[in-house]
Amino acid sequence: MNAVPKKKPEAAKNVAKRRGPSLAERLNAWRELHLFSFVSSFGRIVQRPVSTLMTIGVIAVALALPLCFAVLLVNVEQLSGAFRESREISLFLKPGASAESVQNTRERVESDPRVESVVLRTPEEGMAEFRQLTDFAGALALLEENPLPAVLVVTPKPSESPLELARFFQEKAPDVDFVQHDAAWRARLSAWLEFGHGLALTIAALLGLGVLLVVGNTVRLDILSRAEEISTMQLLGATDGFVRRPFLYLGAWYGLFAGLLALSIARLARSALADPVAGLAESYGSHFSLQGLPGLWSIGALAASVALGWLGAYLAASHHLRHTLPERD
Amino acid sequence: MALLKFDRVSKRYAAGHEALTEVSFEVDQGEMLFVTGHSGAGKSTLLRLIHLSERASRGAVYFDGLNLSRIDRRGLPKHRRRVGVVYQDHRLLMDRSLFDNVALPLIIQGVPRGEISKRVRLILDKVGLGGRERALPIQLSSGEQQRVGIARAVVAQPSLLVADEPTGNLDPGLSEEIMDLFAALPSQGTAVIVASHDLHQVKRMRKRVLVLDHGKLIDDFRPESVRPEAAPR
Repeated sequence: MNAVPKKKPEAAKNVAKRRGPSLAERLNAWRELHLFSFVSSFGRIVQRPVSTLMTIGVIAVALALPLCFAVLLVNVEQLSGAFRESREISLFLKPGASAESVQNTRERVESDPRVESVVLRTPEEGMAEFRQLTDFAGALALLEENPLPAVLVVTPKPSESPLELARFFQEKAPDVDFVQHDAAWRARLSAWLEFGHGLALTIAALLGLGVLLVVGNTVRLDILSRAEEISTMQLLGATDGFVRRPFLYLGAWYGLFAGLLALSIARLARSALADPVAGLAESYGSHFSLQGLPGLWSIGALAASVALGWLGAYLAASHHLRHTLPERD
Repeated sequence: MALLKFDRVSKRYAAGHEALTEVSFEVDQGEMLFVTGHSGAGKSTLLRLIHLSERASRGAVYFDGLNLSRIDRRGLPKHRRRVGVVYQDHRLLMDRSLFDNVALPLIIQGVPRGEISKRVRLILDKVGLGGRERALPIQLSSGEQQRVGIARAVVAQPSLLVADEPTGNLDPGLSEEIMDLFAALPSQGTAVIVASHDLHQVKRMRKRVLVLDHGKLIDDFRPESVRPEAAPR
């Protein structure tokens, strides 16, 4: 009853023929599989334009918020850069000081070893500058005397503290009426910008988490709609990587398109605000214009968006695959 | 060494129902056999233990000398590539062409594209569907769909093919065609296990028959011992 049937010679030959493909063939097949997943996942996006657009739109808006905030920070930093980096101290001399007195004070300040350079702005120069910068030229013309004092613009040596030098001149220079160095204001501005950076990062992190959830949920729904197909592929010997791969590309596509849309939104916002801001700046005599995100920032934002899409898909697919093993009793 | 060995295998489900009890048998390379029994006898459970859709509760299933209970998540795809499966409901991907359906196991195994094309056309010719590579499964009859399922199961030349009621939905003529396709596989080195309650077909094929009853293996007929009056009823 239990006699073992002899293996037929033909069968043995066929068994011997079963050998795996070479490494080069496997690498080629691996490349083809990635290419196939890359193209087919794009095809799935195109097949469902409405749901795809909605998903991409939600992700793009989430990404656009921190991007717009980044644009704002870039411009505030640019605007404040000159103020923040300025080390100049303005010594306003006593009104009515004679030219000789002004010159003496200038020489005395210049001879201080902590001072790198001194520039004198005479009351006449100050008045001329004032006329150019403001709309009060008519009113200024009515003044009988020039009320502006002479000003010494002092630049300390790089190793010196502007704040200490300002205090010194305020206390020790008898001809100096008033010393201006807005250290507190600059410190406050720096603190606000630091806070802005932190806020931008926090918002980006929170919205990045939102992007993960959106992509993850979209891919999860796609996985559920293809659960039978996935199950069939697994029964045919598909590895987790094989099953997961098209979904990873799908997530990356979502991230790429959402990133491009978010960058476009940020660009549109900048364009919409550029003219009003330029007009506002011009009214203050400034040539400031609103800048967009630097090129590297844009590339970084796009890469981060693709990575978020990929990661969201990876998490969703891995979660599904974890529950598809035969249970052990 | 046997290709497949069940050693006192039992399967108990969480609800307490014991689908298989102390089942032991061996299958050699290139052998074809039937598993028969009434509905609920444990035929499908036995097949599911072979391609690891489920795991045994007690005892051990050995495939090519390897205890299947030791196969973890990483090893599972490798094992399943060596076991082709044919389902009663075909489990074809309805939005893919016949070519894509049959090519799937080869794609999964990383077979080069040129080789895939050659092997898929060859196997579709063998099952009588040559020239219809671009058709969708929905354009085929049930018998033709089953032939696609068989082509997909054998295209990667598995060591073992298991078929769960492969002719359950087919008329007798088509059933004979399908069984003849299975019967040709052992000569190519593929062992075949067919779960079927169609005793007419089982008798006609004159192959080894395992008879299950309430999860127990009650008979193991060899072809030479099967007489019409002794065949399983």
